[in-house]
Amino acid sequence: MKNLAIITQWASNLLIALAGLGLVAMTAIVSWQVFGRFILNSSPSWSEQAALTLMIWFVTLAAAVGVREGFHIRITAVEDALPPTARRGMRILADLVVGAIGAAMLYWGGELVARTWGHVIPSLGLSRGFAYLGLPLAGGLIVLFAFERVLVELGGKNAADKEMA
Amino acid sequence: DREGSRVLTSSDTHPSDYPTVQAVNEMGRLLETRTGGRLRIHVYAGGQLGAERDTLEITTFGGLDMNRVNLAPLTAIEPMTVIPSLPFLFRSTAHMRQALDGPVGQAILDSLRPHGMVGLCFYDSGERSFYNTKRPIQTPADLKGLKIRVQNSDLFVTMVKALGADATPMDVGEVYQALVQGVIDGAENNQPSYFTGRHFEAAPFYSLSRHVMAPEILVMSMARWEKLSPADRDLVQQTARESVPFMRTLWDKRVEDATAKLLAGGVKVNEIADIAAFSDLMRPVWDRFVTSPEQKRLVAEIQAMGDSAGTQGVPG
Amino acid sequence: MEIAILGIALILLLMLGVPVAFALLGSAIACFLALDIPLVVVFQRMASGISVFSLMAIPFFIFAGDLMYRSGIAEQLVRVAGAVFAPARGGLGLVNVGASTLFGAVSGSAIASASAMGSTLIPLMRERGYDSDYAVNVTVTAAIVGLLIPPSHNMIIYSAASGIGVSISDLFLAGVVPGLLAATLLGLAAWLVARRRNYPTGTFPGFRALFNAAIYAMPGIMTAVIIMGGILSGIFTPTESSAIAVVYTILVGALVYRSLGLTKFLEAVTQSVRVTAMVLMIIGAATAFGYALAIMEAPAQLANLITTLTDNPILVLLIINIALLLLGTFMDMSPLIVITTPILLPVAMQVGVDPVHFGIIMMLNLGIGLVTPPVGSVLFVGAAVAKIKIEQAVKTIFPFYVALLITLLLVTYVPALSLALPGMFK
Ligand code: NA
Ligand code: NA
Repeated sequence: MKNLAIITQWASNLLIALAGLGLVAMTAIVSWQVFGRFILNSSPSWSEQAALTLMIWFVTLAAAVGVREGFHIRITAVEDALPPTARRGMRILADLVVGAIGAAMLYWGGELVARTWGHVIPSLGLSRGFAYLGLPLAGGLIVLFAFERVLVELGGKNAADKEMA
Repeated sequence: DREGSRVLTSSDTHPSDYPTVQAVNEMGRLLETRTGGRLRIHVYAGGQLGAERDTLEITTFGGLDMNRVNLAPLTAIEPMTVIPSLPFLFRSTAHMRQALDGPVGQAILDSLRPHGMVGLCFYDSGERSFYNTKRPIQTPADLKGLKIRVQNSDLFVTMVKALGADATPMDVGEVYQALVQGVIDGAENNQPSYFTGRHFEAAPFYSLSRHVMAPEILVMSMARWEKLSPADRDLVQQTARESVPFMRTLWDKRVEDATAKLLAGGVKVNEIADIAAFSDLMRPVWDRFVTSPEQKRLVAEIQAMGDSAGTQGVPG
Repeated sequence: MEIAILGIALILLLMLGVPVAFALLGSAIACFLALDIPLVVVFQRMASGISVFSLMAIPFFIFAGDLMYRSGIAEQLVRVAGAVFAPARGGLGLVNVGASTLFGAVSGSAIASASAMGSTLIPLMRERGYDSDYAVNVTVTAAIVGLLIPPSHNMIIYSAASGIGVSISDLFLAGVVPGLLAATLLGLAAWLVARRRNYPTGTFPGFRALFNAAIYAMPGIMTAVIIMGGILSGIFTPTESSAIAVVYTILVGALVYRSLGLTKFLEAVTQSVRVTAMVLMIIGAATAFGYALAIMEAPAQLANLITTLTDNPILVLLIINIALLLLGTFMDMSPLIVITTPILLPVAMQVGVDPVHFGIIMMLNLGIGLVTPPVGSVLFVGAAVAKIKIEQAVKTIFPFYVALLITLLLVTYVPALSLALPGMFK
């Protein structure tokens, strides 16, 4: 349990760092696009697709972290109206649903990658499947993070949603 | 499926009154009549199911039965499909129709099978020409330095660069505003799209370069095809072929209407006297995209067909 | 049948407390299973829904706004605006409405506006004693005003979807008066709520103090000038302007004010990716959900229902308004325009509604859908930036909804509000 927490903490720090790097790279790429077109009179043809690919990656990876940190928006009106034991049951059930959807994202996201691996992203030259690769990765991480939350709840603690830092 | 009865789903990004949508509806009508209502087609028009590249992927997954797409998203999947998009390949619309109705067209349709799709037929997409906010294009020098919007396609980027302009890939939804505000100076498309996208409001110079006459294509997902009986497959193939002349009649009418409305809207349309000045610059473009022996054979066949007729020049 | 599965699954999952993005995905999965569509399509739609060029404005404006807040640039700006509006109760609320209208007008995107204004103004409003829910309510409702004031890429989508070539310049002109009307009514609502809650008033500090504050805030004021000037002069597109805003803010924060160090920068980066991931996951999941609705032709069924019910123009428009408000609650704006325009426009034209006028009705209607639960991306951005629950924001949003609904009724039944301006330029 404690080891799991160390691993997941380490993983989510790494993921947020990678996602942040993605955002910074995206900023640089789109700014370069403007600079190229307006100053150099030569528009980079790869920039739009590169930025879009980065966006899929960083959104899905950071979204997986969101499961661990509990920053995804959810409606708690029903939960708040219930007694504490029922609340715990609901939280466990909700985490199980999230984990199951993570598993679906891992499996069918993986199929998406496999089936589009031979397609090329025009003007970038990369495989389309590569752009989608963030999905199964995030799906696997969502399973892990949801599992951890369920363990915490079963262990009697509240895996309460963290305020966004 | 009860006794092979089925409503085939089909996607199209064009609006519901567009010739390709009408043609697939016509194909559905023929299918329905000939199977006593067992096979029908439902077209989701207007891009309501997503952009072409996306719905094309969904079709290869078997999530949609049919799809009418431009060739551009297919070239990312199968190199043979780039051939009809080669700039200045066809000398006229008649030349293009002749080539694609015959064995050359069939070879390109067949090249899609390994990718989970069955090519059913080609539909016209007209003659693409340049339009811009600044001046009529007469020579390649007139294009020099203009920022020309292109689709997200290596072929179009390479072609526009070879003509001396600045190729700017941009989502079609951003083009109108980009023209108005001067982010770009022009774009290229057929007359009906130039009209319906209202781009003529901002960019009133339309120069008939007719650089690309790439057709559109109707595909069926292999997953659905394999579930059809051999007799139904023949029927689907046959009705698709019959929808082509139907589509072309509507298309020619549409081009005529759009051209009339454009002229009434104050657009300055000009013919280009020396097309060879443009097509002569296309050698590197062809060399980059025509690489396999099979591609070269089809290109040579198309060129041989065109030697008898037509007006457009082809790099030698 | 399958529509029921979709709807019931969504409501159950939301009530269970499953995050909105996952509830949308889960109900789409259930519906796809019932429709016998391969599940790989769910995730393809999700990925495509995230990977849209114009959506890049969300991470960039959130990032730029966060940087402006952390580096104190926003503080300087608000000092100036606060000085001007000091005598009015809830002056910052009015500042927010005005700024959002201007920003939304230029960026054309409600969600970009909520991202930018939310991440700069909401923290500052809180520091000055305004409640979080009020700050969110003002920000998100004012953000949709920009949909009506040109330029608006949604109007371009509408023109293309109409299939009859509705003039984009007519649409742009038609949106101006309804947009200003909405801004005025929202400003009124912001002022009334501020009075009731007794928010602080200040005293006008005098012109010399205002001048000094303005000088000191000049680099920040230049952000707006650069964004608007750059878009209007054609140097960059509205989407690109969001990235330029980030670069400019970094330069000003690090070199001019020297208040943006590496630590603050990294905080801004990591916080921005969290908010972005939360919002874009919902948008991606809503795309998969919307695909299910589209394949079942929910909008077409609705149009059939309308035409069988009545052919009285007033009633038809009323029903269309209600229908669009409902659809706008579940689906996002651009896909909805594409799907519903070809279906509803002929119905509206049959009872004599001008297509330009109908376009404005549609923008406003679907815009309201962006700030209403259960799926309202603009509302979510506001709540996420303010770190409050949606329920908390929605509990007190009623006066702002009323302002928008009054605008909607006036725009719907007084065609001249939309059509007078384009008529003058004919
Ligand atoms: Na706008
Ligand atoms: Na909503």
